[in-house]
Amino acid sequence: MNIKDVMLSLDKFPVVTKDVIFKEVLEEMGNKKLGIACVVDENYKLLGILTDGDIRRKILSIQKPLSSIFIDDCLDHAILSPKTISIDDPIIMAVNLMGENKIWDLPVVENGILKGLLHLHPLVNSLLKSK
Amino acid sequence: MERKVVNVGYGKVRRVSIGERLPLVFIGGPCAIESREHAFKMAKDIEVICQKIGIDWIYKSCYDKDCRSSPTSFHGVGIDEGLKILSDVRDEFGLPVVSDFSDSTWGPSTGEVCDLVQVPAYLCRQTSILRSAAKTGKPVLLKKGQFMSPWNMKNSVRKLESHGCNQIILADRGTFFGYNMLVNDMTCFPIMAATGYPVCFDAGHSIQLPTSMGNISGGQREFIPHLVRSATANGINALFMEVHDNPDKALSDANTVLDIKYLENILYQAKKVHELRLELLDKLGEDNVHPKK
Repeated sequence: MNIKDVMLSLDKFPVVTKDVIFKEVLEEMGNKKLGIACVVDENYKLLGILTDGDIRRKILSIQKPLSSIFIDDCLDHAILSPKTISIDDPIIMAVNLMGENKIWDLPVVENGILKGLLHLHPLVNSLLKSK
Repeated sequence: MERKVVNVGYGKVRRVSIGERLPLVFIGGPCAIESREHAFKMAKDIEVICQKIGIDWIYKSCYDKDCRSSPTSFHGVGIDEGLKILSDVRDEFGLPVVSDFSDSTWGPSTGEVCDLVQVPAYLCRQTSILRSAAKTGKPVLLKKGQFMSPWNMKNSVRKLESHGCNQIILADRGTFFGYNMLVNDMTCFPIMAATGYPVCFDAGHSIQLPTSMGNISGGQREFIPHLVRSATANGINALFMEVHDNPDKALSDANTVLDIKYLENILYQAKKVHELRLELLDKLGEDNVHPKK
């Protein structure tokens, strides 16, 4: 089993372009029922991510009205150097990376281009089934 | 963020560039076109003052005032007569001109004559007006509605951009503070400038008391110099003021237009404050107080 077999495909998790507004990213995260959104350029190069945790911290930190944050470009609030995993890396490496950083989502990239998302729940399910 | 420069003027008129680190530009004239003679007189008199001070300017006057409170108020000379007069002002004085338009079908002819087309504040989010303004191919002066937050103007900017317009000036003319009252939120300038487009302060309409006189608007002209100094120091790229040689007899916005006898004094101050701001920026660099992340 490798990362490609377990990762969510691009249509199964929130993927947005950099000028999508913050409010629409929140909606997309709700629609896809995931706590992460990946921000990409027109060639799907990964530019940053937004996670539930980042958003919680931003709401507490940014001292401006929520209506003003809603209209911001999502990239303005994204984490620009997120932890990622390469599509060719071994799964155990991804598991270790998630554990060390206490995260449960890893964007999967190939030469900087977003290919999918490794989410902890399907990953655990696959590992349990493979035992 | 890329800061854009808006270039106004086509044909034989002088070119005026509006943008960050450029000299302040004045946009002014009588609120409404009253007659050919009056339009020419105002253009001539304002030109003398602007030449003396050394400030580039754009002649502003409207042919149809569609947002009058009263059905009996002067509505304007009409689109055909008004655009002919504006065209003649261009030819006679070599000045770029601007007029607003309140009906999307008026956009093409307005854009054919005017160097800059204005979207009225009350209509600043109307898709049909924004589309029509963008389609003129001319730069657009987009007034922030009195009911709009400065950050939500990004939606109107994106509507213009989606129809091919990337020459936009964003103007503040005050924000409703309860009924019949406006205030100026000076943070609106850096917020709107974050779109990358130049920003403008409309001083005359900012001191307006909307429809405070029952069926017309009142105004407190005495505050114009105060607000002009504040806005200019804040970092505007253009200053908008309606000017008249006899405000009490003005056919439109009589309570807010500035008497031309005060124009030189106010423009002089605005130019000096603007130059001082640029000098300080050169000396000290850009503001370095960053928001919390």
